[in-house]
Amino acid sequence: MTVEISHLDLLEAESIHIFREAAAQFRKPVLLYSIGKDSTVLLHLARKAFWPGKLPFPILHVNTTWKFKEMIAFRDHWVKEFDLDLIEMTNHEAIAKGVNPYDYSPSIYTDIMKTVPLKAGLDQHGFDGAFGGARRDEEASRAKERVFSFRAEGHRWDPRRQRPEMWRLLNGRLGAGETARIFPLSNWTERDIWRYILREKLDVVPLYMAAERPTIERNGQILMYDDNRFPLKPGETPVMRSIRFRTLGCWPLTAAVESNAVTIEEVVAETLGARNSERSGRLIDHDQVGAMEKKKQEGYF
Amino acid sequence: MTAQPAMKDLNVSTLVTPTTGVIADVAPELSGMLRVLTCGSVDDGKSTLIGRLLWDATDLFDDQRATLERGRRVDGGHPDFSLLMDGLVAEREQGITIDIAWRYFDTKTRRFVVIDSPGHEQYTRNMASGASHADVAIMLIDARHGIKVQTRRHAAILDLVGLKRVVLAVNKMDLVDWSESRFRQIEHDFRTLMWRFGFREAVAIPVAAVSGDNVAERSKHMAWYTGPSLLEHLEEIPSRGTEPVGAFRMPVQTVLRDSRADFRGLAGTISSGTVRVGDTVVDPVSRRSAKVQRIATMDRDYQEAVQGQAVAIQLDTDLDVSRGSVLAAPEAAPVVARTIEARFVWLSEIPFDKRGSYLVRTATDLVPVTNIEIKSLLDLDSLAVHPATACKVNDIAIANVALGRATAIDRFVEAQETGSFMLVDAISGATIAGGTVTSASPDIQQQDNVFVLTRAMLARGLSSDIANTPEGEAEFRRRANEVALLLRSAGVAVEVESLPDYVI
Repeated sequence: MTVEISHLDLLEAESIHIFREAAAQFRKPVLLYSIGKDSTVLLHLARKAFWPGKLPFPILHVNTTWKFKEMIAFRDHWVKEFDLDLIEMTNHEAIAKGVNPYDYSPSIYTDIMKTVPLKAGLDQHGFDGAFGGARRDEEASRAKERVFSFRAEGHRWDPRRQRPEMWRLLNGRLGAGETARIFPLSNWTERDIWRYILREKLDVVPLYMAAERPTIERNGQILMYDDNRFPLKPGETPVMRSIRFRTLGCWPLTAAVESNAVTIEEVVAETLGARNSERSGRLIDHDQVGAMEKKKQEGYF
Repeated sequence: MTAQPAMKDLNVSTLVTPTTGVIADVAPELSGMLRVLTCGSVDDGKSTLIGRLLWDATDLFDDQRATLERGRRVDGGHPDFSLLMDGLVAEREQGITIDIAWRYFDTKTRRFVVIDSPGHEQYTRNMASGASHADVAIMLIDARHGIKVQTRRHAAILDLVGLKRVVLAVNKMDLVDWSESRFRQIEHDFRTLMWRFGFREAVAIPVAAVSGDNVAERSKHMAWYTGPSLLEHLEEIPSRGTEPVGAFRMPVQTVLRDSRADFRGLAGTISSGTVRVGDTVVDPVSRRSAKVQRIATMDRDYQEAVQGQAVAIQLDTDLDVSRGSVLAAPEAAPVVARTIEARFVWLSEIPFDKRGSYLVRTATDLVPVTNIEIKSLLDLDSLAVHPATACKVNDIAIANVALGRATAIDRFVEAQETGSFMLVDAISGATIAGGTVTSASPDIQQQDNVFVLTRAMLARGLSSDIANTPEGEAEFRRRANEVALLLRSAGVAVEVESLPDYVI
């Protein structure tokens, strides 16, 4: 007997399996939600895993207050629609002290505005397992990441604590002080994410689709002028361009691409023919050699 | 909990994603997936072979192509394909205990997942864990050197974790003048070796990774070879999940409820076989059976579901089964075992400790171990078995494991997913070994001086403060287990009086 199963069906089943396994093994898990396309898929798979029940865990969003406005509107819409339990974490002390993405290097900004409140959120609520949307195809240092990735006290990623994984078995038993990150999308690629969004007819933040938006061009990269916190240099004025985003983060740190793809199908067609791998649009990764790896050791995803 | 400023002016209607409704042309789904393990050392040209596959078979991104082109100057004309696989910053300094790197590429019809484990001297556990995820293994050898002792070790490890399809890529054919007789000799040696292990499929292909001969495209230098290129061969292997084998099994992960619709679904991934609405299924531990009333998912209900699908099964009568149970076909149910004989790959740096506290993690159950008796170790060079009582990292051991309570388990040769397990350190939580069940028995292993920790004993003192509530019961069990762990680490063989439904 031979059965026709597409690769997306296989990936979906694997992710659902991981969600159910983690929810059963961890005492108090949480889903880290970043509003982007990967988070959209992650949330959809979580709903499938526990249907017809409600999600058995809250979702946590780290809001730097520099997220695109449309991202927050999108988040709030779906939180209401799916009756989700949202926890929002923001580093208010740092904002009061004037930390912003312009005067601080991307790595320091990320640490203060993302990593610090993320750790604080996990600690305050006593979460012992956190679902994230990381994929092994994103970056070389993630190619060896486990599905259950363990963190020592202080959320440090310690290579020696990473556990071998065999067959479909997942071991989430924690040692003293340990917590875990759980990656249900480990084996998905960027293309799979888009294909799945199309197949499942999922809505994504409109910023992924091209529209005329106010932009500034700097160092060969197109940035969106999302609000008047953008410090213009002499001679710079916002110019309207038809742009869209391949990844979404903090708007001062996320470069756009010029595009006329206004429907999701056009975006996917453009993406599947894309000539640069996804993360090259993120300023944060170019900041230093092995940037992502270093951030991971410090507790960023 | 602050809201963003200036949110109100965004209308929810702007959130609806515009679509043209034309999906198929834009993103055709791939019809299958194949996970490929690559084994061999760097010297055999492994990184080059995989890089070459990616280069020839797929549409690499420009920045990745640029990375390869940068290596062109030092590699005498060809891009340096190995850079694709060796891209990790400070790979060695990372010191990850078990290294497996995952790479993904698509051909027109299929997703390939390349699982790569480095070939240094600590490779046994790396390879074993990598191979456990794979559908097929490419064993790479250098045509000048032929089959080596290492090739035999590799085969033994693949056999151990149940990988039954192998391809021998005989690389560097350009360095033996594309010699047919050289290849035929190696192919003959390989066949002889493969017979020994009973691999379902073993194919040898002559290649030259650097120039791409017989990698994606047929070689122009070896007219005598009429078989497929490596990629052509991989494209023909049945995709993951398309060949449901064995009797129906579904380890129950969790129970899903919908109070409004009177729904109680046993959620899990079907680990072998097929199940249909109306089928009778059994919970082997309670020996109770029921009929499948509904196979449900968020998208739709199924009349039939197969191996690999994640579903929720509703039964016509409530069997009171929960996580840790295995739903099974009644005519071929798993053994309800108290003792198993198993083969382990010892993964931990910490050697086996007779007085250690271990747990067995099966598909969805976690069972305390009362005793492990190492019987022998497998010598990978001679493939002979030597009596032993100790076991350390990279060893392959044969052992008897006595379980603290009965659990449903299969022999690995009959059902891989319900016949494999992890050995877990009860204190640190670390994964200690990966095991496959060679036989399972309902009998309790005879052991001298086993101390039985009874409920009455615990209720009298240690747990006298606990209320008779479900929460109290959970706390009672937690304490019972902790006491047992402490006693075991003090060298006392101990069993907790049977606590039904007991999940740690």
